[in-house]
Amino acid sequence: MQSKVTTFQKIAVAVAFSPRCEAIIAEARQLQQAFHSQMIFIHVGKKSMQEEQYLKHLLHRFQLDQPNNEVIWREGDPVETILEICQTQNVDLLVAGALEKETLLKYFLGGISRQLSRKVKCSMLMLTEPNIHPGGFKHLVVEGTDHPKTENTISVAVELAKAFQSNTLSIIQESDLSKLALIRSDDFKENEADEHKETLLKEEDEKLEEILRCTDCGELAINTERIEGKPGYVISKFAREKSADLLVVNSPDITMNLLDRVFPHDIEYALADLPCNLLIIHPKNAD
Amino acid sequence: METLSHTENISLLLSIGLMLISARLFGEFFRKFKMPLVVGELIAGVVLGPSLLGAFAPKVSEYIYTHNDHASLALNGITNISIIMLLFVAGMELNLSLIRQQGKAAFSTSMFGLIIPLGLGFVTAYYAYEWYGRNSTDKVVFALFMGTSMAISALPVIARTLIDLNLFKTKIGSIIITAAMFNDLIGWILFSMIMGMLKGSANHSVVLTLLYTVAYAILMLTAGRFFINKSLPWAQRNFSWPGGFLSLSLGLAFLGAAFTEFIGLHAIFGAFIIGIAVGDSVLVTEKTKDIVSQFVTNIFAPLFFVSIGFKVNFIANFDLQICAVVLVVAVIGKISGAFIGAKIGGLSNKESLAIGFGMNARGAMEIILATLALQAKLIGEELYVAIVIMAVITSIMAGPMLNWLIKTKGSAEPSSTN
Repeated sequence: MQSKVTTFQKIAVAVAFSPRCEAIIAEARQLQQAFHSQMIFIHVGKKSMQEEQYLKHLLHRFQLDQPNNEVIWREGDPVETILEICQTQNVDLLVAGALEKETLLKYFLGGISRQLSRKVKCSMLMLTEPNIHPGGFKHLVVEGTDHPKTENTISVAVELAKAFQSNTLSIIQESDLSKLALIRSDDFKENEADEHKETLLKEEDEKLEEILRCTDCGELAINTERIEGKPGYVISKFAREKSADLLVVNSPDITMNLLDRVFPHDIEYALADLPCNLLIIHPKNAD
Repeated sequence: METLSHTENISLLLSIGLMLISARLFGEFFRKFKMPLVVGELIAGVVLGPSLLGAFAPKVSEYIYTHNDHASLALNGITNISIIMLLFVAGMELNLSLIRQQGKAAFSTSMFGLIIPLGLGFVTAYYAYEWYGRNSTDKVVFALFMGTSMAISALPVIARTLIDLNLFKTKIGSIIITAAMFNDLIGWILFSMIMGMLKGSANHSVVLTLLYTVAYAILMLTAGRFFINKSLPWAQRNFSWPGGFLSLSLGLAFLGAAFTEFIGLHAIFGAFIIGIAVGDSVLVTEKTKDIVSQFVTNIFAPLFFVSIGFKVNFIANFDLQICAVVLVVAVIGKISGAFIGAKIGGLSNKESLAIGFGMNARGAMEIILATLALQAKLIGEELYVAIVIMAVITSIMAGPMLNWLIKTKGSAEPSSTN
């Protein structure tokens, strides 16, 4: 594993003492090694001797009990507490376990992990199948939409892929042609609409090419693909079909609430049914 | 069962054939001057109808669009179906997630671009009630209609203008499209309420009409949309596609229309909301939507727009004063509303003015709205002609005005996320 990346200098891990706790700590260890990060382990709930001992044991076992790492125990609302810690501690990446799919009621009410993903002001990694022997991220699918955040997202994804020596990195350009379709019913000639579409898409292709030119991709094999459809839905579907182990997307521009679950768009399609591990990249100084 | 006679049958088929061909010829002619197809289609009806041809050769005009037999009744039924299908397509084109994601500038533009023309239209109609020569007895309903008709926008015309001026992907373009979508959504909901209030007063109270409208919209856009999303994969597996989608979606649109008509709302509202629910599905591709849209806009829309020219004498009912007042109220209301909204959203004076002119286009949707109001006897023919003329003029002026403003401003900034 290469280890020169400093994208995530401070990583926070939400510890829930669930059956997957050990695997999440193991995954955290791998990230720590890749990014040489300072680690913060957060548990929101009453501190018990048994849990304290168990966490100590896990951290020791995975060599995470270094002096610069920190364990924070707090009581209160899990979501608000974790968000507050992430902000005050200037965390770069929050790691949490997440179920692939939640029950309909829980999805609309919002489980802890998903609530965090909608509100957190730093990047977040949602692990759907953490493994006690992490295999890294071998097949990455990355959002390549025409958006100011995309350049940073691609850059982080490339760094991550290089650090984990990933096999493939697919950048997906999602083309939402719904706005362009508004004129289909009006007065374009047969090929006119296609020409306009091509012009618009060409501009996007050029922007992506420019991003990739400016990104140090090293030996990494990158393939780009354009898929028409609803943003968020098509990339999620693609990641599932290709059995990707990490989907990397831009953070949402607005704070998602219940309305965004009722009328889903972008990241909500992925959150409704996570196709694989999900990494939401929130650019630093974006707020 | 009563059926059309041999001659009535021929008359109906001749009417449909001639209307379609004349709509296309006139539409293509006006397109050469960068005008929307709908302008040509309307003028085809005016030229062939009682306004022009009818004045010189009434028998020929009447032969094209008969007025007094069963064929005319059948044709009228077809044009009514056309309106329902047009509203279904209009609903399908609305992008709920785009409206939901709108930024501060788009939100304030949407709100002020709706409230100010609506308010101005309402107030002028309320006080100039008799001067407008209205037929209905309810002043508030009439004023509400005028307000709504001032607030609505023409998305296809706006989108086309933005593409022609290379503004489609700019910040201005994104704000205009999002705000116009929001205006249309609210505009059609308001219009349905007005129509419900108008015809529902005998059946149920205004409060109940409002309740039905909101309840239907919420139910169809949540549970209905969920049901449609869940059933589409099954339909895709078991039906030929996209033919199956054409039958199912239009079938649902007519069922929705029948339901809203049954509960005392207007049929168009049912189709419009079903259009939004169907169009929002992730499983319906733009290509599939395009098939429905082409089918409706190239067959049914021309029939509807040409028929307008046959039903109303545009020359005899042309009143310069009414036309001027309607145009001025519409233009001032929309441009000032969108301008104020954009300014509040942080845009410059010129950008805000460009957004105002962009959103000012009314196009086909305005004409549909006015036709329904005329059919419901909410407005008279003179006011109807004035609204149609306003719709055409605002659609024509959007492009040149926007072009002039952008040229004097310089290149537009690219869009971020709006």
